[in-house]
Amino acid sequence: MFINNILKLWLLCFWLLLSFNAHSLDIITHPAIETTSLTTAQLRRIFSMRQLLWRSGTPIVVYVLPSKHKLHQKFTKKMLRMFPYQLDRIWNKLTYSGMGSAPIVVSNTQALVDAVMKTPGAIGYVENAKNNSKVHIINIKG
Amino acid sequence: MNNFIEQRCKTFCYILLLFFLSQASAEELTLSNWQWHGFFSQGIVDVNGSDFVNDDGSISSELTEIGINTSLQLLPNLRFATQAVYLNGGNRYTKGARIDYLLLDWTLWNKNNWQTNLYVGRFKNIHWLYSSVRDIPFARPGIILPQSVYFDGFRDIAVGGDGAALKLSYSDDVYGDFDINYSYGTSPLSKEQGQIILSKLATGNVKQDFDSQASFYWKPIFSPWRFGLSLLDSDFSYRNAEQDFFVDGNFSFQFYTLNALYEGEQWEFSGEIYQERFVTKGFYHPFFLQDHLGQGAYLQTRYQFNEDLTLLARYEKFYSNKNDKKGKQLEIDTAGKVPSYFAFQNDFVFSLSYDFTNNFKLRLEQHWVNGGARLTPVVQPNPINNNQPYWQITALQLMMWF
Repeated sequence: MFINNILKLWLLCFWLLLSFNAHSLDIITHPAIETTSLTTAQLRRIFSMRQLLWRSGTPIVVYVLPSKHKLHQKFTKKMLRMFPYQLDRIWNKLTYSGMGSAPIVVSNTQALVDAVMKTPGAIGYVENAKNNSKVHIINIKG
Repeated sequence: MNNFIEQRCKTFCYILLLFFLSQASAEELTLSNWQWHGFFSQGIVDVNGSDFVNDDGSISSELTEIGINTSLQLLPNLRFATQAVYLNGGNRYTKGARIDYLLLDWTLWNKNNWQTNLYVGRFKNIHWLYSSVRDIPFARPGIILPQSVYFDGFRDIAVGGDGAALKLSYSDDVYGDFDINYSYGTSPLSKEQGQIILSKLATGNVKQDFDSQASFYWKPIFSPWRFGLSLLDSDFSYRNAEQDFFVDGNFSFQFYTLNALYEGEQWEFSGEIYQERFVTKGFYHPFFLQDHLGQGAYLQTRYQFNEDLTLLARYEKFYSNKNDKKGKQLEIDTAGKVPSYFAFQNDFVFSLSYDFTNNFKLRLEQHWVNGGARLTPVVQPNPINNNQPYWQITALQLMMWF
Protein backbone atom coordinates (compact mmCIF):
# COMPACT_ATOMS: atom_id res chain seq x y z
CA MET A 1 0.00 0.00 0.00
CA PHE A 2 2.77 2.42 1.00
CA ILE A 3 4.77 1.60 -2.15
CA ASN A 4 1.64 2.08 -4.25
CA ASN A 5 1.15 5.58 -2.82
CA ILE A 6 4.79 6.48 -3.37
CA LEU A 7 4.51 5.26 -6.96
CA LYS A 8 1.35 7.33 -7.52
CA LEU A 9 3.02 10.39 -6.04
CA TRP A 10 6.07 9.90 -8.23
CA LEU A 11 3.88 9.50 -11.33
CA LEU A 12 1.98 12.65 -10.38
CA CYS A 13 5.24 14.60 -9.99
CA PHE A 14 6.50 13.24 -13.31
CA TRP A 15 3.23 14.22 -15.02
CA LEU A 16 3.41 17.71 -13.51
CA LEU A 17 7.01 18.04 -14.66
CA LEU A 18 6.04 16.99 -18.18
CA SER A 19 3.10 19.40 -18.13
CA PHE A 20 5.39 22.21 -17.04
CA ASN A 21 7.89 21.40 -19.77
CA ALA A 22 5.10 21.11 -22.31
CA HIS A 23 4.28 24.79 -21.69
CA SER A 24 7.77 26.18 -21.14
CA LEU A 25 8.26 29.71 -22.36
CA ASP A 26 11.44 30.45 -24.25
CA ILE A 27 13.14 33.60 -25.43
CA ILE A 28 14.27 33.20 -29.02
CA THR A 29 16.50 35.31 -31.26
CA HIS A 30 17.72 35.37 -34.82
CA PRO A 31 20.24 32.52 -35.26
CA ALA A 32 23.14 34.97 -35.85
CA ILE A 33 22.86 36.46 -32.34
CA GLU A 34 25.79 35.27 -30.24
CA THR A 35 24.34 36.18 -26.85
CA THR A 36 23.47 33.00 -24.94
CA SER A 37 22.02 34.42 -21.73
CA LEU A 38 20.37 37.56 -20.36
CA THR A 39 19.29 38.64 -16.91
CA THR A 40 15.62 39.47 -16.23
CA ALA A 41 16.63 43.14 -15.89
CA GLN A 42 18.29 43.05 -19.33
CA LEU A 43 15.27 41.32 -20.88
CA ARG A 44 13.03 43.96 -19.36
CA ARG A 45 15.24 46.73 -20.78
CA ILE A 46 15.02 45.18 -24.24
CA PHE A 47 11.23 44.81 -24.23
CA SER A 48 10.70 48.28 -22.75
CA MET A 49 12.90 49.66 -25.54
CA ARG A 50 15.56 50.98 -23.17
CA GLN A 51 18.27 48.78 -24.71
CA LEU A 52 18.36 49.00 -28.50
CA LEU A 53 21.60 47.20 -29.41
CA TRP A 54 23.02 43.74 -28.84
CA ARG A 55 26.49 43.57 -27.30
CA SER A 56 27.86 43.11 -30.84
CA GLY A 57 26.32 46.43 -31.93
CA THR A 58 23.54 44.84 -33.99
CA PRO A 59 20.22 46.74 -33.60
CA ILE A 60 17.61 44.77 -31.63
CA VAL A 61 14.28 44.21 -33.38
CA VAL A 62 11.57 43.23 -30.89
CA TYR A 63 8.60 41.09 -31.95
CA VAL A 64 5.59 40.59 -29.70
CA LEU A 65 2.08 39.15 -29.78
CA PRO A 66 -1.05 41.32 -29.23
CA SER A 67 -1.42 42.44 -25.63
CA LYS A 68 -4.55 40.32 -24.99
CA HIS A 69 -2.85 37.16 -26.31
CA LYS A 70 -2.49 34.61 -23.49
CA LEU A 71 1.14 33.90 -24.32
CA HIS A 72 2.00 37.61 -24.27
CA GLN A 73 0.33 37.96 -20.89
CA LYS A 74 2.21 34.94 -19.54
CA PHE A 75 5.51 36.22 -20.93
CA THR A 76 5.01 39.71 -19.50
CA LYS A 77 4.11 38.50 -16.02
CA LYS A 78 6.50 35.54 -15.68
CA MET A 79 9.55 36.65 -17.63
CA LEU A 80 9.48 40.43 -17.27
CA ARG A 81 7.64 40.61 -13.92
CA MET A 82 5.42 43.33 -15.39
CA PHE A 83 1.80 43.63 -16.45
CA PRO A 84 0.84 43.84 -20.15
CA TYR A 85 -0.76 47.26 -19.71
CA GLN A 86 2.56 48.66 -18.43
CA LEU A 87 4.32 47.60 -21.62
CA ASP A 88 1.44 48.98 -23.73
CA ARG A 89 1.86 52.36 -22.03
CA ILE A 90 5.59 52.50 -22.61
CA TRP A 91 5.16 51.56 -26.26
CA ASN A 92 2.22 53.93 -26.85
CA LYS A 93 4.19 56.76 -25.33
CA LEU A 94 7.12 56.09 -27.67
CA THR A 95 4.96 55.56 -30.76
CA TYR A 96 2.62 58.53 -30.42
CA SER A 97 5.13 61.07 -29.08
CA GLY A 98 7.74 60.36 -31.75
CA MET A 99 10.36 59.69 -29.09
CA GLY A 100 11.02 56.12 -30.20
CA SER A 101 9.76 53.03 -31.94
CA ALA A 102 7.60 50.33 -30.42
CA PRO A 103 8.03 46.56 -30.91
CA ILE A 104 6.44 45.00 -33.96
CA VAL A 105 3.17 43.24 -33.15
CA VAL A 106 2.43 40.03 -35.05
CA SER A 107 -0.86 38.19 -34.89
CA ASN A 108 0.18 34.63 -33.93
CA THR A 109 3.09 32.58 -32.65
CA GLN A 110 4.00 31.07 -36.02
CA ALA A 111 4.26 34.56 -37.53
CA LEU A 112 6.43 35.59 -34.60
CA VAL A 113 8.82 32.64 -35.04
CA ASP A 114 9.02 33.27 -38.80
CA ALA A 115 9.74 36.98 -38.26
CA VAL A 116 12.45 36.28 -35.68
CA MET A 117 14.07 33.72 -37.97
CA LYS A 118 14.11 36.13 -40.93
CA THR A 119 15.07 39.41 -39.26
CA PRO A 120 18.69 40.05 -38.22
CA GLY A 121 18.86 41.15 -34.58
CA ALA A 122 15.32 39.96 -33.83
CA ILE A 123 14.09 38.75 -30.45
CA GLY A 124 10.75 37.25 -29.44
CA TYR A 125 9.19 34.57 -27.26
CA VAL A 126 7.46 31.30 -27.90
CA GLU A 127 6.39 28.11 -26.14
CA ASN A 128 8.44 24.96 -26.57
CA ALA A 129 11.19 26.46 -28.70
CA LYS A 130 13.35 23.44 -27.84
CA ASN A 131 11.30 21.47 -30.36
CA ASN A 132 12.46 23.83 -33.08
CA SER A 133 16.11 23.25 -33.88
CA LYS A 134 16.33 26.32 -36.14
CA VAL A 135 15.79 28.98 -33.46
CA HIS A 136 18.40 30.31 -31.06
CA ILE A 137 17.25 30.13 -27.45
CA ILE A 138 18.41 32.61 -24.82
CA ASN A 139 18.87 31.44 -21.26
CA ILE A 140 17.33 33.81 -18.69
CA LYS A 141 19.14 34.18 -15.37
CA GLY A 142 17.92 35.84 -12.19
CA MET B 1 -14.82 79.12 -47.27
CA ASN B 2 -12.46 78.18 -44.44
CA ASN B 3 -15.15 75.92 -42.99
CA PHE B 4 -15.57 74.28 -46.39
CA ILE B 5 -11.83 73.57 -46.66
CA GLU B 6 -11.73 72.34 -43.08
CA GLN B 7 -14.63 69.95 -43.69
CA ARG B 8 -12.93 68.61 -46.81
CA CYS B 9 -9.63 68.14 -44.90
CA LYS B 10 -11.50 66.35 -42.14
CA THR B 11 -13.27 64.11 -44.62
CA PHE B 12 -9.98 63.32 -46.32
CA CYS B 13 -8.41 62.40 -42.97
CA TYR B 14 -11.39 60.16 -42.15
CA ILE B 15 -11.18 58.37 -45.50
CA LEU B 16 -7.42 57.96 -45.30
CA LEU B 17 -7.57 56.56 -41.82
CA LEU B 18 -10.49 54.27 -42.49
CA PHE B 19 -8.62 53.01 -45.53
CA PHE B 20 -5.65 52.08 -43.37
CA LEU B 21 -7.82 50.55 -40.68
CA SER B 22 -9.79 48.44 -43.10
CA GLN B 23 -7.12 47.46 -45.58
CA ALA B 24 -4.11 46.77 -43.47
CA SER B 25 -3.20 45.74 -39.98
CA ALA B 26 -0.23 47.31 -38.21
CA GLU B 27 1.65 44.08 -38.88
CA GLU B 28 1.29 44.48 -42.61
CA LEU B 29 2.22 48.16 -42.46
CA THR B 30 5.30 47.59 -40.36
CA LEU B 31 8.78 46.79 -41.48
CA SER B 32 11.61 46.54 -39.00
CA ASN B 33 12.84 50.06 -39.86
CA TRP B 34 9.60 51.70 -40.98
CA GLN B 35 6.43 51.91 -38.93
CA TRP B 36 2.98 53.39 -39.44
CA HIS B 37 0.46 53.90 -36.68
CA GLY B 38 -2.71 55.88 -36.24
CA PHE B 39 -5.84 56.43 -34.24
CA PHE B 40 -9.38 57.60 -34.74
CA SER B 41 -11.90 58.62 -32.13
CA GLN B 42 -15.27 60.29 -32.05
CA GLY B 43 -17.38 61.13 -29.07
CA ILE B 44 -20.31 63.13 -27.84
CA VAL B 45 -20.10 65.53 -24.94
CA ASP B 46 -22.76 67.32 -22.92
CA VAL B 47 -21.75 70.20 -20.65
CA ASN B 48 -24.33 71.70 -18.32
CA GLY B 49 -23.57 75.08 -16.77
CA SER B 50 -20.46 76.32 -18.58
CA ASP B 51 -19.06 77.06 -22.04
CA PHE B 52 -16.25 74.51 -21.63
CA VAL B 53 -17.14 72.94 -25.01
CA ASN B 54 -19.76 75.19 -26.63
CA ASP B 55 -21.61 78.43 -25.90
CA ASP B 56 -25.20 77.15 -26.13
CA GLY B 57 -24.87 74.14 -23.81
CA SER B 58 -26.29 71.67 -26.35
CA ILE B 59 -25.05 68.08 -26.73
CA SER B 60 -22.03 68.30 -28.98
CA SER B 61 -20.06 66.02 -31.27
CA GLU B 62 -17.03 68.30 -30.89
CA LEU B 63 -14.95 65.47 -29.53
CA THR B 64 -12.95 64.29 -32.52
CA GLU B 65 -9.34 63.15 -32.42
CA ILE B 66 -7.64 61.64 -35.46
CA GLY B 67 -3.95 61.03 -35.96
CA ILE B 68 -1.51 59.25 -38.20
CA ASN B 69 2.22 58.90 -37.70
CA THR B 70 5.27 57.33 -39.23
CA SER B 71 8.75 56.50 -38.01
CA LEU B 72 11.60 55.75 -40.40
CA GLN B 73 15.05 54.60 -39.31
CA LEU B 74 17.27 56.40 -41.81
CA LEU B 75 20.62 55.31 -40.37
CA PRO B 76 21.52 53.16 -37.34
CA ASN B 77 21.69 56.34 -35.24
CA LEU B 78 19.27 58.60 -37.12
CA ARG B 79 15.47 58.32 -37.23
CA PHE B 80 12.76 60.49 -38.77
CA ALA B 81 9.33 60.67 -37.13
CA THR B 82 6.22 62.72 -37.76
CA GLN B 83 2.56 62.77 -36.73
CA ALA B 84 -0.36 64.75 -38.11
CA VAL B 85 -3.53 65.15 -36.08
CA TYR B 86 -6.98 66.59 -36.52
CA LEU B 87 -8.58 67.77 -33.28
CA ASN B 88 -11.95 69.24 -32.50
CA GLY B 89 -12.72 69.94 -28.85
CA GLY B 90 -15.07 72.90 -29.29
CA ASN B 91 -14.06 75.85 -27.12
CA ARG B 92 -11.36 73.82 -25.41
CA TYR B 93 -8.69 74.58 -28.05
CA THR B 94 -8.37 75.61 -31.68
CA LYS B 95 -9.94 73.01 -33.92
CA GLY B 96 -8.27 71.80 -37.09
CA ALA B 97 -5.44 69.76 -38.54
CA ARG B 98 -1.86 70.31 -37.37
CA ILE B 99 1.58 68.75 -37.40
CA ASP B 100 1.86 67.30 -33.94
CA TYR B 101 5.55 66.46 -34.21
CA LEU B 102 8.11 66.34 -36.98
CA LEU B 103 11.61 65.55 -35.85
CA LEU B 104 14.96 63.97 -36.41
CA ASP B 105 16.00 61.65 -33.60
CA TRP B 106 19.79 61.42 -33.34
CA THR B 107 21.10 58.70 -31.03
CA LEU B 108 24.21 60.26 -29.50
CA TRP B 109 25.14 57.42 -27.16
CA ASN B 110 23.76 53.92 -27.03
CA LYS B 111 25.18 51.26 -24.72
CA ASN B 112 23.61 48.45 -22.71
CA ASN B 113 22.53 50.67 -19.81
CA TRP B 114 22.76 54.11 -21.39
CA GLN B 115 20.79 55.80 -24.11
CA THR B 116 21.09 59.46 -25.09
CA ASN B 117 18.95 60.98 -27.84
CA LEU B 118 18.77 64.46 -29.30
CA TYR B 119 15.49 65.42 -31.00
CA VAL B 120 15.52 68.35 -33.40
CA GLY B 121 12.42 69.85 -35.01
CA ARG B 122 8.89 69.94 -33.60
CA PHE B 123 8.89 67.73 -30.51
CA LYS B 124 6.25 66.75 -27.96
CA ASN B 125 6.29 67.67 -24.31
CA ILE B 126 7.52 64.56 -22.50
CA HIS B 127 7.97 66.18 -19.10
CA TRP B 128 4.66 65.64 -17.28
CA LEU B 129 3.04 62.36 -16.39
CA TYR B 130 0.60 62.32 -19.34
CA SER B 131 1.82 65.24 -21.49
CA SER B 132 3.14 63.11 -24.35
CA VAL B 133 -0.17 61.25 -24.74
CA ARG B 134 -2.61 64.09 -23.99
CA ASP B 135 -4.04 63.93 -27.55
CA ILE B 136 -4.02 60.14 -27.77
CA PRO B 137 -7.47 59.13 -26.52
CA PHE B 138 -6.79 55.45 -25.80
CA ALA B 139 -3.39 56.08 -24.17
CA ARG B 140 -4.40 58.79 -21.71
CA PRO B 141 -6.34 57.91 -18.56
CA GLY B 142 -9.60 59.72 -19.39
CA ILE B 143 -11.55 61.65 -22.02
CA ILE B 144 -10.70 64.95 -20.32
CA LEU B 145 -7.43 65.10 -18.41
CA PRO B 146 -7.01 66.92 -15.07
CA GLN B 147 -7.34 70.56 -16.09
CA SER B 148 -5.14 71.87 -13.30
CA VAL B 149 -2.05 70.44 -15.03
CA TYR B 150 -3.31 69.61 -18.54
CA PHE B 151 -5.33 72.79 -19.07
CA ASP B 152 -6.86 72.59 -22.55
CA GLY B 153 -6.66 76.37 -22.93
CA PHE B 154 -2.86 76.09 -22.83
CA ARG B 155 -2.79 72.92 -24.96
CA ASP B 156 -1.23 74.48 -28.04
CA ILE B 157 1.56 76.01 -25.97
CA ALA B 158 2.09 73.05 -23.66
CA VAL B 159 1.87 70.19 -26.15
CA GLY B 160 5.42 70.65 -27.46
CA GLY B 161 7.59 73.13 -29.27
CA ASP B 162 9.84 73.91 -32.20
CA GLY B 163 13.46 73.55 -31.13
CA ALA B 164 15.43 70.71 -29.58
CA ALA B 165 14.99 68.15 -26.82
CA LEU B 166 17.52 65.92 -25.11
CA LYS B 167 16.68 62.61 -23.41
CA LEU B 168 19.13 60.68 -21.28
CA SER B 169 18.10 57.23 -20.01
CA TYR B 170 20.11 55.11 -17.61
CA SER B 171 19.09 51.65 -16.37
CA ASP B 172 20.85 50.41 -13.26
CA ASP B 173 20.54 46.74 -12.26
CA VAL B 174 20.32 47.69 -8.58
CA TYR B 175 18.69 51.14 -8.40
CA GLY B 176 16.35 50.99 -11.42
CA ASP B 177 15.58 53.27 -14.35
CA PHE B 178 16.49 56.96 -14.50
CA ASP B 179 15.36 59.44 -17.18
CA ILE B 180 16.52 63.03 -17.53
CA ASN B 181 14.85 65.22 -20.17
CA TYR B 182 15.48 68.78 -21.29
CA SER B 183 13.84 70.80 -24.05
CA TYR B 184 14.08 74.33 -25.40
CA GLY B 185 11.85 75.84 -28.04
CA THR B 186 8.83 77.95 -28.87
CA SER B 187 5.27 77.20 -29.94
CA PRO B 188 3.71 79.11 -32.82
CA LEU B 189 0.44 80.76 -31.71
CA SER B 190 -2.34 81.85 -34.01
CA LYS B 191 -4.58 84.86 -33.32
CA GLU B 192 -7.38 82.45 -32.36
CA GLN B 193 -5.13 80.64 -29.88
CA GLY B 194 -4.11 84.00 -28.42
CA GLN B 195 -7.78 84.88 -27.95
CA ILE B 196 -8.49 81.55 -26.24
CA ILE B 197 -5.80 82.34 -23.67
CA LEU B 198 -6.28 86.10 -23.29
CA SER B 199 -9.64 87.43 -24.38
CA LYS B 200 -11.86 87.56 -27.45
CA LEU B 201 -11.31 91.33 -27.37
CA ALA B 202 -7.53 90.93 -27.80
CA THR B 203 -7.00 91.72 -31.49
CA GLY B 204 -3.19 91.98 -31.32
CA ASN B 205 -0.55 89.28 -31.66
CA VAL B 206 0.64 87.00 -28.87
CA LYS B 207 4.01 85.30 -29.24
CA GLN B 208 5.86 82.78 -27.13
CA ASP B 209 9.40 84.09 -26.66
CA PHE B 210 10.84 80.83 -25.27
CA ASP B 211 9.94 77.67 -23.39
CA SER B 212 12.57 75.86 -21.36
CA GLN B 213 11.64 72.61 -19.61
CA ALA B 214 13.41 69.88 -17.66
CA SER B 215 12.22 66.71 -15.96
CA PHE B 216 13.59 63.79 -13.99
CA TYR B 217 12.01 60.35 -13.51
CA TRP B 218 13.03 57.40 -11.37
CA LYS B 219 11.56 53.91 -11.31
CA PRO B 220 13.16 51.63 -8.70
CA ILE B 221 14.10 48.20 -10.07
CA PHE B 222 11.15 45.77 -10.29
CA SER B 223 9.04 48.27 -8.35
CA PRO B 224 5.43 49.23 -9.15
CA TRP B 225 6.30 52.85 -8.29
CA ARG B 226 7.60 55.65 -10.46
CA PHE B 227 8.44 59.17 -9.30
CA GLY B 228 9.02 62.34 -11.29
CA LEU B 229 9.46 66.07 -11.17
CA SER B 230 9.34 68.74 -13.87
CA LEU B 231 10.27 72.40 -14.19
CA LEU B 232 9.09 74.89 -16.81
CA ASP B 233 10.03 78.49 -17.55
CA SER B 234 8.39 80.41 -20.38
CA ASP B 235 7.81 84.01 -21.51
CA PHE B 236 5.12 85.44 -23.80
CA SER B 237 4.64 88.89 -25.26
CA TYR B 238 1.55 90.67 -26.56
CA ARG B 239 1.70 93.45 -29.16
CA ASN B 240 -1.57 95.28 -29.48
CA ALA B 241 -3.32 96.07 -32.75
CA GLU B 242 -4.26 99.57 -33.91
CA GLN B 243 -7.85 99.12 -32.74
CA ASP B 244 -7.38 97.19 -29.52
CA PHE B 245 -8.96 97.09 -26.09
CA PHE B 246 -5.56 96.16 -24.58
CA VAL B 247 -2.03 97.61 -24.59
CA ASP B 248 1.32 95.86 -25.10
CA GLY B 249 2.11 93.33 -22.39
CA ASN B 250 4.53 90.64 -21.25
CA PHE B 251 3.67 87.41 -19.46
CA SER B 252 6.03 85.19 -17.56
CA PHE B 253 5.04 81.66 -16.61
CA GLN B 254 6.80 79.14 -14.36
CA PHE B 255 5.38 75.71 -13.65
CA TYR B 256 6.70 73.00 -11.30
CA THR B 257 5.24 69.51 -10.83
CA LEU B 258 5.92 66.49 -8.65
CA ASN B 259 4.29 63.21 -9.61
CA ALA B 260 4.02 59.61 -8.46
CA LEU B 261 2.58 56.54 -10.15
CA TYR B 262 1.81 53.10 -8.70
CA GLU B 263 1.03 50.32 -11.16
CA GLY B 264 -0.35 47.16 -9.61
CA GLU B 265 -2.05 44.23 -11.32
CA GLN B 266 -5.55 45.55 -10.61
CA TRP B 267 -5.08 48.83 -8.77
CA GLU B 268 -3.30 51.87 -10.02
CA PHE B 269 -2.72 55.17 -8.24
CA SER B 270 -1.31 58.35 -9.71
CA GLY B 271 -1.11 61.95 -8.73
CA GLU B 272 0.57 65.22 -9.53
CA ILE B 273 0.97 68.30 -7.38
CA TYR B 274 2.06 71.52 -8.92
CA GLN B 275 2.65 75.21 -8.50
CA GLU B 276 2.59 77.88 -11.21
CA ARG B 277 3.74 81.48 -11.15
CA PHE B 278 2.04 83.81 -13.59
CA VAL B 279 3.40 87.35 -13.90
CA THR B 280 1.55 89.93 -16.02
CA LYS B 281 3.24 93.21 -16.95
CA GLY B 282 1.19 95.73 -18.92
CA PHE B 283 -1.63 94.37 -21.11
CA TYR B 284 -4.48 96.03 -19.12
CA HIS B 285 -2.64 99.37 -18.89
CA PRO B 286 1.06 100.25 -19.33
CA PHE B 287 1.88 100.14 -15.61
CA PHE B 288 -0.13 97.05 -14.66
CA LEU B 289 1.79 94.43 -12.66
CA GLN B 290 0.38 91.20 -11.25
CA ASP B 291 2.30 88.28 -9.75
CA HIS B 292 0.19 85.24 -8.81
CA LEU B 293 1.10 81.81 -7.47
CA GLY B 294 -1.42 79.16 -8.43
CA GLN B 295 -1.48 75.65 -6.95
CA GLY B 296 -3.17 72.41 -7.80
CA ALA B 297 -3.18 68.67 -7.27
CA TYR B 298 -5.07 65.59 -8.31
CA LEU B 299 -5.23 62.02 -7.09
CA GLN B 300 -6.43 59.34 -9.43
CA THR B 301 -7.12 55.65 -9.03
CA ARG B 302 -7.90 53.02 -11.62
CA TYR B 303 -9.25 49.56 -10.95
CA GLN B 304 -9.03 46.77 -13.50
CA PHE B 305 -12.35 45.05 -12.88
CA ASN B 306 -11.57 42.35 -15.43
CA GLU B 307 -9.49 42.00 -18.57
CA ASP B 308 -11.73 44.42 -20.49
CA LEU B 309 -13.40 46.73 -17.99
CA THR B 310 -11.55 49.51 -16.14
CA LEU B 311 -13.01 51.95 -13.62
CA LEU B 312 -11.44 55.32 -12.83
CA ALA B 313 -12.03 57.88 -10.10
CA ARG B 314 -10.21 61.20 -9.68
CA TYR B 315 -10.40 64.23 -7.44
CA GLU B 316 -8.71 67.45 -8.42
CA LYS B 317 -8.28 70.80 -6.73
CA PHE B 318 -6.92 74.02 -8.23
CA TYR B 319 -6.77 77.70 -7.37
CA SER B 320 -5.13 80.38 -9.50
CA ASN B 321 -3.91 82.53 -6.60
CA LYS B 322 -2.82 80.84 -3.38
CA ASN B 323 -3.42 84.08 -1.47
CA ASP B 324 -7.01 84.26 -2.70
CA LYS B 325 -8.23 80.67 -2.71
CA LYS B 326 -11.91 81.60 -2.47
CA GLY B 327 -11.73 84.47 -4.96
CA LYS B 328 -12.94 87.26 -2.66
CA GLN B 329 -10.08 89.56 -3.69
CA LEU B 330 -10.64 88.74 -7.37
CA GLU B 331 -14.24 89.88 -7.07
CA ILE B 332 -13.21 93.11 -5.28
CA ASP B 333 -10.40 93.88 -7.77
CA THR B 334 -12.77 93.52 -10.73
CA ALA B 335 -15.59 95.48 -9.06
CA GLY B 336 -17.74 92.36 -9.10
CA LYS B 337 -17.42 91.80 -12.85
CA VAL B 338 -15.54 88.51 -12.31
CA PRO B 339 -17.30 86.32 -9.70
CA SER B 340 -15.24 84.69 -6.95
CA TYR B 341 -15.63 81.15 -8.37
CA PHE B 342 -13.28 82.05 -11.25
CA ALA B 343 -10.43 81.83 -8.70
CA PHE B 344 -10.67 78.04 -8.25
CA GLN B 345 -11.77 74.82 -9.91
CA ASN B 346 -12.42 71.47 -8.23
CA ASP B 347 -13.43 68.39 -10.15
CA PHE B 348 -14.59 64.90 -9.23
CA VAL B 349 -14.51 62.39 -12.07
CA PHE B 350 -15.82 58.87 -12.53
CA SER B 351 -15.15 56.91 -15.69
CA LEU B 352 -15.68 53.47 -17.25
CA SER B 353 -13.59 52.04 -20.10
CA TYR B 354 -14.36 48.89 -22.01
CA ASP B 355 -11.91 47.21 -24.41
CA PHE B 356 -13.79 45.34 -27.14
CA THR B 357 -10.54 44.17 -28.77
CA ASN B 358 -6.82 44.98 -28.63
CA ASN B 359 -7.49 48.15 -30.66
CA PHE B 360 -11.05 49.19 -29.98
CA LYS B 361 -12.24 50.92 -26.81
CA LEU B 362 -15.32 52.71 -25.46
CA ARG B 363 -15.15 55.19 -22.59
CA LEU B 364 -17.88 56.90 -20.58
CA GLU B 365 -16.98 59.74 -18.24
CA GLN B 366 -18.80 62.02 -15.80
CA HIS B 367 -17.36 65.20 -14.20
CA TRP B 368 -18.82 67.20 -11.34
CA VAL B 369 -17.05 70.57 -11.36
CA ASN B 370 -17.09 73.49 -8.93
CA GLY B 371 -15.45 76.71 -10.15
CA GLY B 372 -14.31 78.31 -13.38
CA ALA B 373 -10.56 78.95 -13.07
CA ARG B 374 -9.81 76.57 -15.96
CA LEU B 375 -12.36 77.96 -18.41
CA THR B 376 -11.24 80.01 -21.38
CA PRO B 377 -10.39 82.82 -21.88
CA VAL B 378 -8.11 82.83 -18.86
CA VAL B 379 -6.91 86.40 -18.56
CA GLN B 380 -10.32 87.98 -19.27
CA PRO B 381 -12.92 85.40 -18.06
CA ASN B 382 -16.43 85.19 -19.45
CA PRO B 383 -18.96 85.35 -16.57
CA ILE B 384 -21.92 85.73 -18.95
CA ASN B 385 -21.64 82.19 -20.37
CA ASN B 386 -20.36 80.85 -17.05
CA ASN B 387 -22.79 82.32 -14.59
CA GLN B 388 -22.79 79.53 -12.00
CA PRO B 389 -20.04 77.83 -9.97
CA TYR B 390 -21.33 74.24 -10.35
CA TRP B 391 -21.32 72.54 -13.74
CA GLN B 392 -21.09 69.00 -15.14
CA ILE B 393 -19.61 67.17 -18.11
CA THR B 394 -20.90 63.88 -19.51
CA ALA B 395 -18.86 62.39 -22.33
CA LEU B 396 -18.83 59.19 -24.36
CA GLN B 397 -15.95 58.39 -26.70
CA LEU B 398 -15.32 55.52 -29.08
CA MET B 399 -11.73 54.99 -30.15
CA MET B 400 -9.76 52.70 -32.42
CA TRP B 401 -6.09 52.56 -33.30
CA PHE B 402 -3.49 50.56 -35.17
